[in-house]
Amino acid sequence: MYNRKIRGPLVEGNKTLSQISKEILNPMETTPGLWWYIAFGISLIAALFGFYAIYITVSKGIGTWGVNNSVGWGWEIVNFVWWIGIGHAGTAFSIFLLILRQKWRTSINRAAEAMTVIAVMSAALFPALHMGRVWLAFYIFPYPNTRGPLWVNFNSPLFWDFIAITAYLLISISFWYLGMLPDFATIRDRTTSKIKKAIYGFFGMGWTGSSLHWIRYESLSFILGGIAAVLVVSVHSIVSTDFAVGIIPGWHTTLFPPYFVVGAIFSGFAMVMTLMVIVRKIYKLTEYVTDNHMDAIARILVFISLIMGTAYSTEVFIAWYSGNEYEMFTFFRNRITGEYTIQFWGMIICNALVPQLFWIKKVRRSWIGLLLVSLIINLGMWFERFNIVITSLSKDYLPSNWVSYNPTYIEVGVYAGTLGLFAAGVLLFFRYIPIMAISEVKSVVNIGDKKED
Amino acid sequence: MNKAFKIGIFENEEKFISSIKSLQEKHFSIYDVYTPYPIHEVFHLLKRKSRLPTAAYFFGLFAIIAVLAFLYYTSVLDWPIVYGGKPFNSFPSFIVVTIVLTIFTVTIASLAAFSARSGLYPGKENTIFDHRSTDDKFVIVVNTDTLDNLESGKLVTLMQEEGAVEVLDKEYESINA
Repeated sequence: MYNRKIRGPLVEGNKTLSQISKEILNPMETTPGLWWYIAFGISLIAALFGFYAIYITVSKGIGTWGVNNSVGWGWEIVNFVWWIGIGHAGTAFSIFLLILRQKWRTSINRAAEAMTVIAVMSAALFPALHMGRVWLAFYIFPYPNTRGPLWVNFNSPLFWDFIAITAYLLISISFWYLGMLPDFATIRDRTTSKIKKAIYGFFGMGWTGSSLHWIRYESLSFILGGIAAVLVVSVHSIVSTDFAVGIIPGWHTTLFPPYFVVGAIFSGFAMVMTLMVIVRKIYKLTEYVTDNHMDAIARILVFISLIMGTAYSTEVFIAWYSGNEYEMFTFFRNRITGEYTIQFWGMIICNALVPQLFWIKKVRRSWIGLLLVSLIINLGMWFERFNIVITSLSKDYLPSNWVSYNPTYIEVGVYAGTLGLFAAGVLLFFRYIPIMAISEVKSVVNIGDKKED
Repeated sequence: MNKAFKIGIFENEEKFISSIKSLQEKHFSIYDVYTPYPIHEVFHLLKRKSRLPTAAYFFGLFAIIAVLAFLYYTSVLDWPIVYGGKPFNSFPSFIVVTIVLTIFTVTIASLAAFSARSGLYPGKENTIFDHRSTDDKFVIVVNTDTLDNLESGKLVTLMQEEGAVEVLDKEYESINA
């Protein structure tokens, strides 16, 4: 049930159906402005720096990183969890809102899913590099091998992580691609260029929009949506068990799975917001992604921010309440005070306090406000992962093991590289794939007007 | 023999639906309809049903059994190893792998079933009755092979009365669908 009178139209400006096709395909049909080439150039430079860092890492080994015997997981795992978190948005956004029948997802889900796919690919790079000998990465596949056959450890969260992320990536791509079928057909049938017709016709898989195609398409979307929703929750729970099963102060807690899942959705929604603020501004799509859409995301963010705040305080409270001196030390002497205060308080301020600005309508309605707060949340979520990974490892049970950790420029380079790849991927997405699910936007253009709604 | 079709093109969803209704009342059999987005009323009117959910259920059932059997085979029969004193068949920790791989199998198998059943795969070229149906037009296609001229005429008039902006007459040697 969507009450148009209260919540406003989902697509503004009384558009006709062909106008919708035209306006959404506009970024693909026109040559992009200078900004696109500049942005793409910068991302490629960052990506090249990343490739250089990866080259050094692979050819010389992970000794070129700042990790050491105590802090065995450095920026790589921080960034891995950060990217995976961002990669949760697309599916969380698209699928949770699909199965909850929230029609306002239609103009945002495509971009969110694109973001997911690219972010998960960036994320997957880190554990692969962290193996050290990346050319032996295929050992992790459970296949009949000449080593016994020796199978992998199916009880290990690290293996669970591997299959969860591989499955998540492939399923996200499938779901994304399925959504694109009708839109590729639209491009195929509208375009006058022969090359485009051939390419989009090939990938459009002969879609005609017949009633049989549509009913199967819809039922497949719900099947994939329903089961992938389980996956969204399970992937980040599994990532959290990488930590939670480790007997390290600050990690060994049952709070971790929900805390990680909510955190992932938080950072993902923030990244969706960052992206949408920019997209609707640059491509002048404010009539499709209306102020009400942004408002809805902002409300979700402020709600999740409260959950995050609760999780942070629960952690600290339990550390004190448990009476465990190692937990007490980690939280009170190594996070709240001590060497890593910047990261801890950065996390609290960015994730729990700043998003509270979204209670104010003016902030929710101003693009600058939305952009700034969403960027701050992304920064805060990075601090959170740093806080979890580094502070716990740097000072554990034996003071003789205590060390500090600082990243080397190689580690920074790999991170910059993934940022570059992400940006480049998103920019290519703007040009070659419809930014919004055209057919879905068409289906909601009159929503709330008809009797059945 | 060529197949002949009358193709009614509508600009408006309501007129399109009411036209389907009156065609059915007059017992014209509709070959198929083509729309830019899914319309649930059309599914009810044309009695379209999908058995994909049932198929997906069985894919899932198969996957659960297959994955658990695989884990049992590798960890208990083929090469048992003690990890941290846990039993070989440590069922609770197999659940995670089972859930993820079941979801994965259901996704891939359902996609394959969708592709096979609908005849959609990369590079497939299906007959498109009217190119505007993926953009902004609602299209009703009726096969007129079994109709005589009088009935075909009635069909055209009926669609025009119901608000079709155009009624096209097309013949195809064969239909790809």
